[in-house]
Amino acid sequence: MRALSQPLGSGLESGALDLVCAAASLKTGALLDQNLPERARERLEGLAATLPDLFGTLDPTCLDRIAERLGGEPGDTTFREILLLSDKSLHVIQPLTGQPGVALVAECPATSSIGLVLSAIRARVVDMEGG
Amino acid sequence: MSVERESSRVLPSIPVGPGLIASVLRLLAFIDDLPAGATGVLKFGEDGLILLESRKICWAVARSMRLRLTDILRNQSTPPLPREAVEEIYRRCKIDGKPIGEALVMSGLVTEAGLRVALFKHNGEAIAHLAGSGLSPDAFVSHTRTGYDPKFSFSPCEVLAMLGSLDDPARALAAQIELGNTLVPDSFGAAFVRSDTTSGALVIAVDRSCDLPVSDLVEVCNWTAGLFDVAHTFDREAALARATWGGHLALVTWRAKDVAYVGLCASRAAAARLVGRLESTAKSSGVIAAAARYGGPA
Repeated sequence: MRALSQPLGSGLESGALDLVCAAASLKTGALLDQNLPERARERLEGLAATLPDLFGTLDPTCLDRIAERLGGEPGDTTFREILLLSDKSLHVIQPLTGQPGVALVAECPATSSIGLVLSAIRARVVDMEGG
Repeated sequence: MSVERESSRVLPSIPVGPGLIASVLRLLAFIDDLPAGATGVLKFGEDGLILLESRKICWAVARSMRLRLTDILRNQSTPPLPREAVEEIYRRCKIDGKPIGEALVMSGLVTEAGLRVALFKHNGEAIAHLAGSGLSPDAFVSHTRTGYDPKFSFSPCEVLAMLGSLDDPARALAAQIELGNTLVPDSFGAAFVRSDTTSGALVIAVDRSCDLPVSDLVEVCNWTAGLFDVAHTFDREAALARATWGGHLALVTWRAKDVAYVGLCASRAAAARLVGRLESTAKSSGVIAAAARYGGPA
């Protein structure tokens, strides 16, 4: 878990997981880490740019009604995590509850263990939020 | 697999046109907006009616439709059911005030699955005629009970999907089978495509437990279509996604050829099982096989 202790500004990149992640704005889709290495920026820019299209575009009352049909509690109408898979990559978006309007975006090869990647990202989020 | 047959049957007298689905959506949304237990008659003046029990569609009829239920029932058997036998039961039901379909099942002339298929066709056709003619309901008269068996009633979602399936019945049948083979307990779902017949997603199949309001179903399908659209800007191979909300709820979506699927899961475990099933049956693209090797989402 060496990478998890690295500051966010450097862009997380773990040799074991080949995972890159960074903070991004849900509103503009811009990466917020000024010192992100170029390679990491290239891998994350496209994913980050989609954030305004993915968050806040689904009617919250619709999500509430679906939650009710599924037996869940209405009221929480924000996606807590979005995972996208292709044959090449695993992409993860995780909004930060402690920093409204900001999400952690991450990408790693599809050959990585999804469980490990999600654990690493969640730990990183806790780290970023001062947990 | 009676539902599969339901969605694959072309209804010959449905007034298919570019605006039909939009009109049907408006009409079905009206039903969704009725109170949860709404039971009674939705009237369209002299032009038709829809009988509802707990907001599910039990019976619909439009003056402009050509086929009667007895014609559909007779003709879906090979050889066709004897007209005299069907009409005799019809006469008795009319006297006793009992639903003819269930009497036909009791008589052994028709199976339950066959009746459901026939009712689905009949009601779908009636709703398409009512919606297509631009009619709006002019009254809803509550009843305490209509006497219809819940087995033979249909959610607005099911009717929407059946009418959406007319665009390409074979594709809809394949989608229905995919849903049936893939969805897990604690989940329900739908399949949709993009089509010239509607401005957003065209729902072509739903599983029987999907009873979302039609506007919510279409909203989720549109959002999912957008998800894949934007994902393609940075990863053209993206074919599987999972979004979680509300603590334990999840939306799982996947694509196969030109059809997209949405599975709504009541728990994280259901979402994991759904993804796992997608992986193991290899129904989708290589991305799912890749996920399978690594145990799927946590």
